[in-house]
Amino acid sequence: MNCPEVDRVIDAYTDDELGAAEAAKVRAHLDVCPACRQRVEARASLGRLIRRVPYYTAPDRLRVAVATVRRPARVSPQLLAWAAMVTLAVSLGSGAVIRTVRARQAATATTAVAQDAVASHVRALMGAHLFDVRSTDQHTVKPWFLGKLDFSPPVDDLAPLGFPLIGGRLDYLSGRPVAALVYQRRQHTINVFVWPSSDSGETVTDARTLRGFQVRHWTRDSMTFWAVSDLNDIELDQFVHALYP
Amino acid sequence: MPHRAFEEVVLPHLDAAFNYARWLTKSDADAEDVVQDAAVRALRFFSSLRNDDARAWLLTIVRNTWYARFSKVGHADQHAVFDDMKDERSDEQLNPEALAIQRQAVERVRRAIEQLPVDFREVIVLRELEGLSYKEIAAVIAAPIGTVMSRLARARERLLAIMDPESTTGGAGELS
Repeated sequence: MNCPEVDRVIDAYTDDELGAAEAAKVRAHLDVCPACRQRVEARASLGRLIRRVPYYTAPDRLRVAVATVRRPARVSPQLLAWAAMVTLAVSLGSGAVIRTVRARQAATATTAVAQDAVASHVRALMGAHLFDVRSTDQHTVKPWFLGKLDFSPPVDDLAPLGFPLIGGRLDYLSGRPVAALVYQRRQHTINVFVWPSSDSGETVTDARTLRGFQVRHWTRDSMTFWAVSDLNDIELDQFVHALYP
Repeated sequence: MPHRAFEEVVLPHLDAAFNYARWLTKSDADAEDVVQDAAVRALRFFSSLRNDDARAWLLTIVRNTWYARFSKVGHADQHAVFDDMKDERSDEQLNPEALAIQRQAVERVRRAIEQLPVDFREVIVLRELEGLSYKEIAAVIAAPIGTVMSRLARARERLLAIMDPESTTGGAGELS
């Protein structure tokens, strides 16, 4: 290749869009032509510079708006499956089927709580009401719940780990008042819902994605936790791990 | 359950959609409007998405939405708003002086990109910030790959000329 030929494909070469054979020809020319080498390098350093300009990330409210773009309501497949199971259980009267139904009932209940938690997260972000107490100080947020709830939620500030506490509020979930703690990661909001658990054991974290939101659920020290965010799954797992190492 | 699948497909690419719209419109508010409208369209056309690349598909809809809203009325470029540099990454190993110089260079290149005609601006954004292949860019902007290549080449020549006015098109020196 000569200089004009290299010039014709210099962008494709820089962008790694040339076939292997052609790229090899370009490289052979670059080995012997400092001028072309310099032009390739100018493009590479321009690219490095461009990749430092701001990357505009979508604001939370846009994410919520997109996640809640409405479509027609329909009968949920879960409800249909549930109805089918009940019919089957009644017609057979078998213990095994009833156990299956109970297990399914428990799973459905968990799913219902997860849906409640996501709905609450979305409501808080869409509407005006993300905070009752706005503070980055755990010693302000924790006492605020005193007298408002019949339990004291654990409140940790995870700012040193990149998840600053920004406040809390009272919320209503799963048929009872709960504590909602609000954390932040960049422009992303994390809602953590806490209430006493009927189960004293520790459970492993349950991870799921619901309507595009990441949801984590675990039980620890007789408390039930639900964390909801539009953060990506890896960082939300880091958050959960930071909260309960 | 097309409903759930829609969110699972679209939300992971929402930042890309917003970034692209933001560079097209140069306004936070307009970019939000465009992406929100695009989401409504995307939902309507969701069944048309087969096994294609969802990101390129969404970016195509963003571009069409933007075009429908702004290009015809001819004020796509009229907004000039404050830009924060919140997402600027910097090299920790650089000393303060070099960092300051680099920051200035980044700011200059940002302004230079904003001043590019939108045909050039968008290929730079799609290539350098989104890392799309020529083929994907061609799909998003509905142009042949040859056009993508020549627009990228011309956009870079312009940027290099702005960043280093002393050099001719042939030989811009080290920039950063």
